[in-house]
Amino acid sequence: MVAVQRLSHNFGSHWALKDVSFTLGKGEFLFLFGPSGAGKTTLLRILHAALPLSRGLAMVAGFDLRKLSRADVPRLRRSVSVVFQDFKIMPERSVAENVALPLEVRGLSRLQIQRRVRAVLRSLELEHKSACACATLSGGEQQRVAIARAIVVNPKVILADEPTGNLDHDLSVRLMEVFSQFHQFGATIILATHDRSLIDIPKSAQVLELSGGQIGGGPAPEPEGPAC
Amino acid sequence: MLSPTLMWRGVKDLGVHPWAQALTLAAVTLVAFLGGLFLLMLHNLDRELAAARGSAAFQVYWKPSASQADVARQWEELAAMPGLADMQTFTPDQALSDLMAAMKGNLDTNSLAALKGQNPLPPTALLVFDGPGGNAGTWAKDMVAKLSARPGVDRVNYNPLQMDLARSWSGFTRKVAWPLMAFLALVVGLSVGNTVRLSLLSRQNEVEILQLVGAGRWYIQLPLLTGGAVQGLVGSALALGMLKALQVGVADLLAAPPLMLTLRFLPLPDALLLTATVTGVCVLASVVAMRE
Repeated sequence: MVAVQRLSHNFGSHWALKDVSFTLGKGEFLFLFGPSGAGKTTLLRILHAALPLSRGLAMVAGFDLRKLSRADVPRLRRSVSVVFQDFKIMPERSVAENVALPLEVRGLSRLQIQRRVRAVLRSLELEHKSACACATLSGGEQQRVAIARAIVVNPKVILADEPTGNLDHDLSVRLMEVFSQFHQFGATIILATHDRSLIDIPKSAQVLELSGGQIGGGPAPEPEGPAC
Repeated sequence: MLSPTLMWRGVKDLGVHPWAQALTLAAVTLVAFLGGLFLLMLHNLDRELAAARGSAAFQVYWKPSASQADVARQWEELAAMPGLADMQTFTPDQALSDLMAAMKGNLDTNSLAALKGQNPLPPTALLVFDGPGGNAGTWAKDMVAKLSARPGVDRVNYNPLQMDLARSWSGFTRKVAWPLMAFLALVVGLSVGNTVRLSLLSRQNEVEILQLVGAGRWYIQLPLLTGGAVQGLVGSALALGMLKALQVGVADLLAAPPLMLTLRFLPLPDALLLTATVTGVCVLASVVAMRE
Protein backbone atom coordinates (compact mmCIF):
# COMPACT_ATOMS: atom_id res chain seq x y z
CA MET A 1 0.00 0.00 0.00
CA VAL A 2 2.92 2.33 0.76
CA ALA A 3 6.41 1.73 -0.59
CA VAL A 4 9.27 4.17 -0.16
CA GLN A 5 12.79 3.59 -1.50
CA ARG A 6 15.87 5.75 -0.94
CA LEU A 7 13.70 8.83 -0.52
CA SER A 8 15.63 12.06 0.09
CA HIS A 9 14.52 15.65 0.38
CA ASN A 10 16.42 18.83 1.09
CA PHE A 11 15.46 22.41 1.91
CA GLY A 12 18.40 24.43 0.59
CA SER A 13 21.51 23.12 2.25
CA HIS A 14 19.59 21.14 4.86
CA TRP A 15 18.66 17.52 4.25
CA ALA A 16 15.27 16.91 5.83
CA LEU A 17 15.27 13.26 4.66
CA LYS A 18 18.09 11.07 3.46
CA ASP A 19 17.76 7.62 1.93
CA VAL A 20 14.58 6.64 3.76
CA SER A 21 13.13 3.27 2.73
CA PHE A 22 10.24 1.19 4.08
CA THR A 23 7.28 -0.83 2.84
CA LEU A 24 3.79 -1.16 4.33
CA GLY A 25 1.14 -3.64 3.25
CA LYS A 26 -2.62 -3.22 3.41
CA GLY A 27 -3.87 -2.75 6.97
CA GLU A 28 -0.45 -2.22 8.54
CA PHE A 29 0.27 0.38 11.20
CA LEU A 30 3.53 2.30 11.23
CA PHE A 31 4.74 4.64 13.93
CA LEU A 32 7.13 7.30 12.71
CA PHE A 33 8.95 8.13 15.86
CA GLY A 34 11.48 10.89 16.39
CA PRO A 35 12.11 14.29 17.92
CA SER A 36 11.08 17.58 16.36
CA GLY A 37 13.03 18.22 13.14
CA ALA A 38 13.59 14.52 12.52
CA GLY A 39 11.84 14.69 9.12
CA LYS A 40 8.50 13.09 10.07
CA THR A 41 6.34 15.93 8.74
CA THR A 42 8.40 16.22 5.55
CA LEU A 43 7.93 12.50 4.87
CA LEU A 44 4.16 12.71 5.43
CA ARG A 45 3.89 15.82 3.24
CA ILE A 46 5.68 14.04 0.41
CA LEU A 47 3.40 11.02 0.78
CA HIS A 48 0.27 13.09 0.17
CA ALA A 49 1.88 15.22 -2.55
CA ALA A 50 2.07 18.47 -0.59
CA LEU A 51 5.80 18.42 -1.35
CA PRO A 52 7.29 17.19 -4.63
CA LEU A 53 9.23 13.95 -4.71
CA SER A 54 12.68 15.00 -5.84
CA ARG A 55 14.83 11.93 -5.10
CA GLY A 56 13.94 8.28 -4.59
CA LEU A 57 10.79 6.28 -5.25
CA ALA A 58 7.40 6.33 -3.53
CA MET A 59 4.18 4.46 -4.23
CA VAL A 60 1.07 5.35 -2.21
CA ALA A 61 -2.33 3.64 -2.67
CA GLY A 62 -1.34 2.65 -6.21
CA PHE A 63 -0.06 6.10 -7.22
CA ASP A 64 3.56 6.46 -8.30
CA LEU A 65 4.50 9.84 -6.84
CA ARG A 66 7.27 10.35 -9.41
CA LYS A 67 4.70 10.32 -12.23
CA LEU A 68 1.97 12.19 -10.43
CA SER A 69 0.40 14.91 -12.59
CA ARG A 70 -1.47 17.93 -11.17
CA ALA A 71 -4.75 16.29 -12.13
CA ASP A 72 -3.76 13.12 -10.22
CA VAL A 73 -3.23 14.94 -6.91
CA PRO A 74 -6.95 15.22 -5.98
CA ARG A 75 -7.41 11.52 -6.86
CA LEU A 76 -4.48 10.53 -4.63
CA ARG A 77 -5.91 12.62 -1.80
CA ARG A 78 -9.27 10.87 -2.08
CA SER A 79 -7.47 7.64 -1.21
CA VAL A 80 -5.18 9.11 1.42
CA SER A 81 -6.54 11.03 4.41
CA VAL A 82 -4.35 13.30 6.49
CA VAL A 83 -4.60 14.47 10.10
CA PHE A 84 -2.51 17.48 11.01
CA GLN A 85 -1.19 18.65 14.32
CA ASP A 86 -2.74 22.08 13.65
CA PHE A 87 -6.08 20.40 12.72
CA LYS A 88 -6.63 22.28 9.44
CA ILE A 89 -10.36 22.56 10.01
CA MET A 90 -12.65 25.45 9.11
CA PRO A 91 -13.29 27.16 12.45
CA GLU A 92 -16.37 29.11 11.37
CA ARG A 93 -18.16 26.02 10.06
CA SER A 94 -19.94 23.44 12.14
CA VAL A 95 -18.49 20.10 13.21
CA ALA A 96 -20.84 18.24 10.85
CA GLU A 97 -19.95 20.51 7.93
CA ASN A 98 -16.24 19.95 8.47
CA VAL A 99 -16.60 16.20 8.68
CA ALA A 100 -18.91 16.12 5.65
CA LEU A 101 -16.44 18.00 3.45
CA PRO A 102 -14.53 15.03 1.96
CA LEU A 103 -17.83 13.20 1.35
CA GLU A 104 -19.24 16.21 -0.52
CA VAL A 105 -16.07 16.36 -2.61
CA ARG A 106 -16.67 12.73 -3.56
CA GLY A 107 -20.23 13.56 -4.64
CA LEU A 108 -22.16 11.42 -2.15
CA SER A 109 -25.87 12.06 -1.67
CA ARG A 110 -27.08 14.22 1.21
CA LEU A 111 -28.60 11.17 2.94
CA GLN A 112 -25.41 9.12 2.67
CA ILE A 113 -23.40 12.04 3.99
CA GLN A 114 -25.70 12.53 6.98
CA ARG A 115 -25.57 8.83 7.89
CA ARG A 116 -21.81 8.53 7.68
CA VAL A 117 -21.12 11.81 9.48
CA ARG A 118 -23.47 10.81 12.32
CA ALA A 119 -21.83 7.41 12.66
CA VAL A 120 -18.30 8.80 12.79
CA LEU A 121 -19.22 11.59 15.21
CA ARG A 122 -20.86 9.01 17.49
CA SER A 123 -17.73 6.86 17.49
CA LEU A 124 -15.63 9.88 18.48
CA GLU A 125 -18.17 11.08 21.09
CA LEU A 126 -18.81 14.29 19.16
CA GLU A 127 -22.42 13.74 18.13
CA HIS A 128 -23.75 16.29 20.64
CA LYS A 129 -21.40 18.91 19.17
CA SER A 130 -22.53 18.27 15.61
CA ALA A 131 -24.07 21.71 15.04
CA CYS A 132 -21.43 23.68 16.97
CA ALA A 133 -18.99 25.90 15.13
CA CYS A 134 -15.52 24.38 15.40
CA ALA A 135 -14.15 27.68 16.75
CA THR A 136 -16.17 27.09 19.94
CA LEU A 137 -14.61 23.66 20.61
CA SER A 138 -11.65 22.83 22.84
CA GLY A 139 -8.32 21.81 21.29
CA GLY A 140 -9.02 18.14 21.97
CA GLU A 141 -12.46 18.33 20.37
CA GLN A 142 -11.04 20.08 17.32
CA GLN A 143 -8.44 17.35 16.98
CA ARG A 144 -11.19 14.74 17.07
CA VAL A 145 -13.05 16.64 14.33
CA ALA A 146 -9.89 16.47 12.21
CA ILE A 147 -9.67 12.73 12.84
CA ALA A 148 -13.37 12.26 12.08
CA ARG A 149 -12.91 14.05 8.76
CA ALA A 150 -9.99 11.76 7.94
CA ILE A 151 -11.75 8.48 8.70
CA VAL A 152 -15.25 9.30 7.44
CA VAL A 153 -14.32 8.36 3.85
CA ASN A 154 -12.87 4.96 4.79
CA PRO A 155 -9.53 5.83 3.20
CA LYS A 156 -7.01 3.22 2.11
CA VAL A 157 -4.24 5.13 3.87
CA ILE A 158 -4.28 7.55 6.82
CA LEU A 159 -1.33 9.83 7.47
CA ALA A 160 -1.42 11.44 10.90
CA ASP A 161 1.11 14.07 11.91
CA GLU A 162 1.36 14.36 15.69
CA PRO A 163 -2.42 13.90 16.02
CA THR A 164 -2.16 13.88 19.80
CA GLY A 165 0.25 16.79 20.04
CA ASN A 166 -2.31 19.13 21.59
CA LEU A 167 -3.98 16.62 23.87
CA ASP A 168 -3.44 15.45 27.41
CA HIS A 169 -2.26 11.91 27.95
CA ASP A 170 -5.69 10.36 28.66
CA LEU A 171 -7.24 11.86 25.56
CA SER A 172 -4.20 10.85 23.53
CA VAL A 173 -4.64 7.26 24.63
CA ARG A 174 -8.36 7.33 23.74
CA LEU A 175 -7.57 8.71 20.28
CA MET A 176 -4.94 6.05 19.71
CA GLU A 177 -7.61 3.50 20.46
CA VAL A 178 -9.77 5.07 17.74
CA PHE A 179 -6.91 4.80 15.26
CA SER A 180 -6.32 1.25 16.40
CA GLN A 181 -9.98 0.34 15.80
CA PHE A 182 -9.92 1.90 12.39
CA HIS A 183 -6.73 0.04 11.56
CA GLN A 184 -8.50 -3.20 12.33
CA PHE A 185 -10.97 -2.43 9.51
CA GLY A 186 -8.07 -2.61 7.03
CA ALA A 187 -6.73 0.92 6.69
CA THR A 188 -2.99 1.44 6.44
CA ILE A 189 -1.91 4.04 8.97
CA ILE A 190 1.30 6.03 9.31
CA LEU A 191 1.31 8.03 12.52
CA ALA A 192 4.10 10.44 13.38
CA THR A 193 4.69 11.14 17.04
CA HIS A 194 7.40 12.04 19.48
CA ASP A 195 5.46 10.49 22.37
CA ARG A 196 6.98 7.05 22.99
CA SER A 197 4.24 6.09 25.44
CA LEU A 198 1.69 5.79 22.59
CA ILE A 199 3.64 3.19 20.64
CA ASP A 200 2.32 0.17 22.51
CA ILE A 201 -1.37 0.94 22.03
CA PRO A 202 -2.04 -0.55 18.61
CA LYS A 203 -1.21 -4.22 18.48
CA SER A 204 1.37 -5.30 15.93
CA ALA A 205 2.42 -1.77 14.99
CA GLN A 206 5.77 -1.25 13.32
CA VAL A 207 8.07 1.52 14.46
CA LEU A 208 10.38 3.54 12.26
CA GLU A 209 12.67 5.82 14.17
CA LEU A 210 13.79 8.92 12.35
CA SER A 211 16.53 11.22 13.50
CA GLY A 212 18.23 13.93 11.51
CA GLY A 213 16.31 12.83 8.42
CA GLN A 214 17.63 9.28 8.49
CA ILE A 215 16.27 5.98 9.70
CA GLY A 216 17.93 5.02 12.93
CA GLY A 217 19.48 8.45 13.47
CA GLY A 218 22.88 9.99 12.87
CA PRO A 219 23.72 13.49 11.75
CA ALA A 220 22.16 14.62 8.51
CA PRO A 221 24.85 14.90 5.82
CA GLU A 222 25.42 18.05 3.77
CA PRO A 223 23.89 18.04 0.27
CA GLU A 224 26.19 17.52 -2.71
CA GLY A 225 25.55 20.90 -4.32
CA PRO A 226 23.28 23.93 -4.24
CA ALA A 227 19.72 22.67 -4.09
CA CYS A 228 17.80 25.84 -4.85
CA MET B 1 -21.10 17.49 -7.88
CA LEU B 2 -23.36 19.42 -10.25
CA SER B 3 -22.39 22.91 -11.27
CA PRO B 4 -25.60 24.60 -9.99
CA THR B 5 -25.00 22.99 -6.57
CA LEU B 6 -21.44 24.29 -6.54
CA MET B 7 -22.61 27.74 -7.61
CA TRP B 8 -25.22 27.77 -4.87
CA ARG B 9 -22.47 26.81 -2.40
CA GLY B 10 -20.54 29.86 -3.62
CA VAL B 11 -23.52 32.08 -2.81
CA LYS B 12 -24.06 30.44 0.59
CA ASP B 13 -20.37 30.74 1.47
CA LEU B 14 -20.65 34.52 1.27
CA GLY B 15 -22.46 34.28 4.59
CA VAL B 16 -19.62 32.42 6.29
CA HIS B 17 -17.51 35.57 6.75
CA PRO B 18 -20.33 38.14 6.87
CA TRP B 19 -18.29 41.16 7.97
CA ALA B 20 -15.47 40.62 5.51
CA GLN B 21 -17.98 40.09 2.70
CA ALA B 22 -20.03 43.12 3.77
CA LEU B 23 -16.95 45.35 3.71
CA THR B 24 -15.93 44.00 0.30
CA LEU B 25 -19.46 44.59 -0.97
CA ALA B 26 -19.40 48.14 0.42
CA ALA B 27 -16.13 48.85 -1.38
CA VAL B 28 -17.43 47.40 -4.65
CA THR B 29 -20.67 49.39 -4.29
CA LEU B 30 -18.94 52.70 -3.60
CA VAL B 31 -16.49 52.34 -6.48
CA ALA B 32 -19.32 51.32 -8.81
CA PHE B 33 -21.33 54.31 -7.55
CA LEU B 34 -18.48 56.71 -8.33
CA GLY B 35 -18.11 55.18 -11.79
CA GLY B 36 -21.87 55.38 -12.31
CA LEU B 37 -21.94 59.00 -11.12
CA PHE B 38 -19.40 59.95 -13.77
CA LEU B 39 -21.42 58.09 -16.40
CA LEU B 40 -24.60 59.84 -15.24
CA MET B 41 -22.97 63.27 -15.48
CA LEU B 42 -21.51 62.50 -18.90
CA HIS B 43 -24.83 61.16 -20.13
CA ASN B 44 -26.75 64.27 -19.02
CA LEU B 45 -24.12 66.68 -20.32
CA ASP B 46 -24.17 64.86 -23.65
CA ARG B 47 -27.95 65.01 -23.74
CA GLU B 48 -28.09 68.76 -22.95
CA LEU B 49 -25.48 69.54 -25.57
CA ALA B 50 -27.11 67.21 -28.05
CA ALA B 51 -30.35 69.15 -27.61
CA ALA B 52 -28.50 72.36 -28.49
CA ARG B 53 -26.38 70.95 -31.26
CA GLY B 54 -28.96 68.56 -32.59
CA SER B 55 -30.64 71.02 -34.91
CA ALA B 56 -29.48 73.75 -37.26
CA ALA B 57 -31.79 76.70 -37.90
CA PHE B 58 -31.63 78.89 -41.05
CA GLN B 59 -33.64 82.10 -41.39
CA VAL B 60 -34.32 82.89 -45.09
CA TYR B 61 -35.26 86.47 -46.03
CA TRP B 62 -36.77 87.20 -49.44
CA LYS B 63 -36.60 90.64 -51.02
CA PRO B 64 -39.67 92.75 -50.13
CA SER B 65 -40.27 93.08 -53.88
CA ALA B 66 -40.47 89.29 -54.37
CA SER B 67 -43.79 87.99 -55.68
CA GLN B 68 -45.80 86.37 -52.86
CA ALA B 69 -46.96 83.65 -55.30
CA ASP B 70 -43.32 82.77 -56.12
CA VAL B 71 -42.41 82.76 -52.43
CA ALA B 72 -45.37 80.51 -51.57
CA ARG B 73 -44.31 78.03 -54.30
CA GLN B 74 -40.76 78.02 -52.89
CA TRP B 75 -42.10 77.34 -49.40
CA GLU B 76 -43.76 74.21 -50.75
CA GLU B 77 -40.46 73.09 -52.30
CA LEU B 78 -38.53 73.85 -49.11
CA ALA B 79 -41.03 71.87 -47.04
CA ALA B 80 -40.06 68.77 -49.04
CA MET B 81 -36.31 69.11 -48.33
CA PRO B 82 -34.67 66.06 -46.75
CA GLY B 83 -33.74 66.40 -43.08
CA LEU B 84 -36.15 69.28 -42.46
CA ALA B 85 -37.50 68.94 -38.91
CA ASP B 86 -39.58 72.11 -38.67
CA MET B 87 -40.53 75.07 -40.83
CA GLN B 88 -42.28 78.33 -39.98
CA THR B 89 -43.21 80.82 -42.67
CA PHE B 90 -44.18 84.47 -42.36
CA THR B 91 -45.82 86.63 -45.02
CA PRO B 92 -45.11 90.37 -44.57
CA ASP B 93 -48.58 90.83 -43.06
CA GLN B 94 -48.15 87.90 -40.66
CA ALA B 95 -44.78 89.30 -39.62
CA LEU B 96 -46.34 92.71 -39.00
CA SER B 97 -49.18 91.21 -36.94
CA ASP B 98 -46.69 89.25 -34.84
CA LEU B 99 -44.63 92.39 -34.37
CA MET B 100 -47.70 94.33 -33.26
CA ALA B 101 -48.67 91.61 -30.83
CA ALA B 102 -45.14 91.56 -29.41
CA MET B 103 -45.01 95.38 -29.07
CA LYS B 104 -48.44 95.76 -27.50
CA GLY B 105 -48.25 98.10 -24.53
CA ASN B 106 -44.78 99.36 -25.40
CA LEU B 107 -45.46 101.13 -28.67
CA ASP B 108 -48.21 102.99 -30.40
CA THR B 109 -49.54 100.11 -32.45
CA ASN B 110 -51.81 102.42 -34.43
CA SER B 111 -48.78 103.72 -36.32
CA LEU B 112 -47.79 100.12 -37.15
CA ALA B 113 -51.37 99.30 -38.23
CA ALA B 114 -51.18 102.21 -40.64
CA LEU B 115 -48.36 100.38 -42.46
CA LYS B 116 -50.74 97.63 -43.70
CA GLY B 117 -50.79 97.70 -47.47
CA GLN B 118 -47.38 99.35 -47.66
CA ASN B 119 -45.56 96.84 -45.41
CA PRO B 120 -41.73 97.11 -45.61
CA LEU B 121 -41.17 93.68 -43.96
CA PRO B 122 -39.99 90.84 -46.27
CA PRO B 123 -41.44 87.31 -46.47
CA THR B 124 -39.33 84.96 -44.35
CA ALA B 125 -39.01 81.29 -43.49
CA LEU B 126 -37.36 79.66 -40.48
CA LEU B 127 -36.03 76.23 -41.49
CA VAL B 128 -34.90 73.84 -38.77
CA PHE B 129 -32.90 70.80 -39.89
CA ASP B 130 -31.89 67.72 -37.92
CA GLY B 131 -28.22 67.81 -36.88
CA PRO B 132 -26.03 66.83 -39.79
CA GLY B 133 -23.63 63.89 -39.58
CA GLY B 134 -20.01 64.21 -40.63
CA ASN B 135 -18.60 67.67 -41.29
CA ALA B 136 -21.25 70.02 -39.89
CA GLY B 137 -19.47 73.22 -40.87
CA THR B 138 -19.26 72.32 -44.57
CA TRP B 139 -22.84 71.11 -44.55
CA ALA B 140 -24.04 74.45 -43.10
CA LYS B 141 -22.08 76.49 -45.65
CA ASP B 142 -23.48 74.38 -48.51
CA MET B 143 -26.99 74.82 -47.15
CA VAL B 144 -26.56 78.61 -46.90
CA ALA B 145 -25.28 78.70 -50.51
CA LYS B 146 -28.15 76.51 -51.73
CA LEU B 147 -30.81 78.63 -50.02
CA SER B 148 -29.19 81.94 -51.06
CA ALA B 149 -29.25 80.81 -54.70
CA ARG B 150 -33.06 80.57 -54.72
CA PRO B 151 -34.81 83.26 -56.82
CA GLY B 152 -35.80 86.38 -54.87
CA VAL B 153 -33.83 85.43 -51.73
CA ASP B 154 -32.18 88.46 -50.18
CA ARG B 155 -30.09 86.76 -47.46
CA VAL B 156 -29.85 83.66 -45.25
CA ASN B 157 -28.86 83.78 -41.58
CA TYR B 158 -27.69 80.88 -39.44
CA ASN B 159 -25.88 80.66 -36.12
CA PRO B 160 -22.40 79.23 -36.67
CA LEU B 161 -22.00 78.93 -32.86
CA GLN B 162 -24.33 75.93 -32.91
CA MET B 163 -22.03 74.17 -35.33
CA ASP B 164 -18.97 75.21 -33.30
CA LEU B 165 -20.62 73.76 -30.22
CA ALA B 166 -21.20 70.48 -32.03
CA ARG B 167 -17.60 70.40 -33.18
CA SER B 168 -16.29 71.33 -29.71
CA TRP B 169 -18.34 68.60 -28.05
CA SER B 170 -17.24 66.05 -30.56
CA GLY B 171 -13.60 67.07 -29.92
CA PHE B 172 -14.18 66.99 -26.16
CA THR B 173 -15.63 63.48 -26.21
CA ARG B 174 -12.84 62.26 -28.48
CA LYS B 175 -9.96 63.88 -26.58
CA VAL B 176 -11.16 64.03 -22.97
CA ALA B 177 -14.33 62.09 -22.19
CA TRP B 178 -13.38 58.73 -23.68
CA PRO B 179 -9.82 58.72 -22.28
CA LEU B 180 -11.35 59.75 -18.94
CA MET B 181 -13.84 56.88 -19.22
CA ALA B 182 -10.98 54.47 -19.94
CA PHE B 183 -9.07 55.84 -16.94
CA LEU B 184 -12.17 55.49 -14.78
CA ALA B 185 -12.65 51.91 -15.96
CA LEU B 186 -9.04 51.22 -15.00
CA VAL B 187 -9.55 52.76 -11.54
CA VAL B 188 -12.75 50.73 -11.05
CA GLY B 189 -10.92 47.62 -12.24
CA LEU B 190 -7.96 48.07 -9.93
CA SER B 191 -9.99 49.06 -6.85
CA VAL B 192 -12.69 46.44 -7.19
CA GLY B 193 -10.25 43.80 -8.39
CA ASN B 194 -7.84 44.32 -5.53
CA THR B 195 -10.63 44.36 -2.93
CA VAL B 196 -12.10 41.09 -4.18
CA ARG B 197 -8.62 39.56 -4.49
CA LEU B 198 -7.77 40.43 -0.86
CA SER B 199 -11.14 39.11 0.27
CA LEU B 200 -10.44 35.79 -1.43
CA LEU B 201 -6.93 35.56 -0.01
CA SER B 202 -8.53 35.56 3.43
CA ARG B 203 -10.13 32.26 2.37
CA GLN B 204 -6.76 30.70 1.56
CA ASN B 205 -7.06 28.35 4.54
CA GLU B 206 -10.40 27.08 3.24
CA VAL B 207 -8.95 26.45 -0.24
CA GLU B 208 -5.98 24.61 1.28
CA ILE B 209 -8.32 22.36 3.29
CA LEU B 210 -10.43 21.61 0.22
CA GLN B 211 -7.28 20.63 -1.66
CA LEU B 212 -6.23 18.37 1.22
CA VAL B 213 -9.51 16.45 1.17
CA GLY B 214 -9.18 15.81 -2.56
CA ALA B 215 -11.31 18.54 -4.08
CA GLY B 216 -10.63 19.12 -7.77
CA ARG B 217 -9.92 22.48 -9.36
CA TRP B 218 -13.49 23.02 -10.59
CA TYR B 219 -14.95 22.10 -7.21
CA ILE B 220 -12.78 24.75 -5.51
CA GLN B 221 -12.90 27.48 -8.14
CA LEU B 222 -16.53 27.53 -9.27
CA PRO B 223 -18.00 28.58 -5.88
CA LEU B 224 -15.33 31.29 -5.51
CA LEU B 225 -16.01 32.61 -9.02
CA THR B 226 -19.74 32.57 -8.31
CA GLY B 227 -19.18 34.46 -5.07
CA GLY B 228 -17.15 37.09 -6.95
CA ALA B 229 -19.84 37.41 -9.63
CA VAL B 230 -22.57 37.77 -6.99
CA GLN B 231 -20.61 40.50 -5.22
CA GLY B 232 -20.18 42.33 -8.52
CA LEU B 233 -23.88 42.01 -9.39
CA VAL B 234 -25.15 43.00 -5.96
CA GLY B 235 -22.58 45.82 -5.67
CA SER B 236 -23.54 47.32 -9.03
CA ALA B 237 -27.26 46.90 -8.29
CA LEU B 238 -26.81 48.77 -5.00
CA ALA B 239 -24.75 51.44 -6.78
CA LEU B 240 -27.49 51.89 -9.40
CA GLY B 241 -30.05 52.16 -6.59
CA MET B 242 -27.97 54.87 -4.91
CA LEU B 243 -27.61 56.68 -8.25
CA LYS B 244 -31.37 56.56 -8.77
CA ALA B 245 -31.95 57.97 -5.28
CA LEU B 246 -29.45 60.74 -5.99
CA GLN B 247 -31.03 61.51 -9.35
CA VAL B 248 -34.52 61.72 -7.84
CA GLY B 249 -33.26 63.88 -4.96
CA VAL B 250 -31.25 66.31 -7.07
CA ALA B 251 -33.46 66.47 -10.18
CA ASP B 252 -35.85 69.05 -8.67
CA LEU B 253 -33.00 71.27 -7.48
CA LEU B 254 -31.42 71.32 -10.91
CA ALA B 255 -34.74 71.87 -12.68
CA ALA B 256 -35.36 75.15 -10.79
CA PRO B 257 -34.12 78.52 -12.15
CA PRO B 258 -31.46 79.60 -12.89
CA LEU B 259 -30.06 76.18 -13.86
CA MET B 260 -33.19 74.76 -15.52
CA LEU B 261 -31.40 71.47 -16.16
CA THR B 262 -33.17 68.14 -16.56
CA LEU B 263 -31.29 65.31 -14.82
CA ARG B 264 -32.23 61.97 -16.34
CA PHE B 265 -31.20 58.52 -15.06
CA LEU B 266 -28.72 56.35 -16.94
CA PRO B 267 -30.25 54.67 -19.99
CA LEU B 268 -30.53 50.87 -19.82
CA PRO B 269 -27.46 50.14 -22.02
CA ASP B 270 -25.25 52.33 -19.80
CA ALA B 271 -26.63 50.71 -16.62
CA LEU B 272 -26.01 47.26 -18.10
CA LEU B 273 -22.50 48.29 -19.17
CA LEU B 274 -21.71 49.42 -15.62
CA THR B 275 -23.09 46.17 -14.15
CA ALA B 276 -21.24 44.01 -16.66
CA THR B 277 -17.95 45.86 -16.11
CA VAL B 278 -18.07 45.62 -12.31
CA THR B 279 -19.20 41.96 -12.38
CA GLY B 280 -16.57 41.08 -14.96
CA VAL B 281 -13.84 42.73 -12.90
CA CYS B 282 -14.97 40.83 -9.78
CA VAL B 283 -14.85 37.48 -11.62
CA LEU B 284 -11.47 38.34 -13.15
CA ALA B 285 -10.09 39.31 -9.74
CA SER B 286 -11.33 35.98 -8.35
CA VAL B 287 -9.45 34.15 -11.10
CA VAL B 288 -6.27 36.12 -10.33
CA ALA B 289 -6.62 35.45 -6.58
CA MET B 290 -7.04 31.72 -7.18
CA ARG B 291 -3.95 31.61 -9.39
CA GLU B 292 -2.00 33.18 -6.53
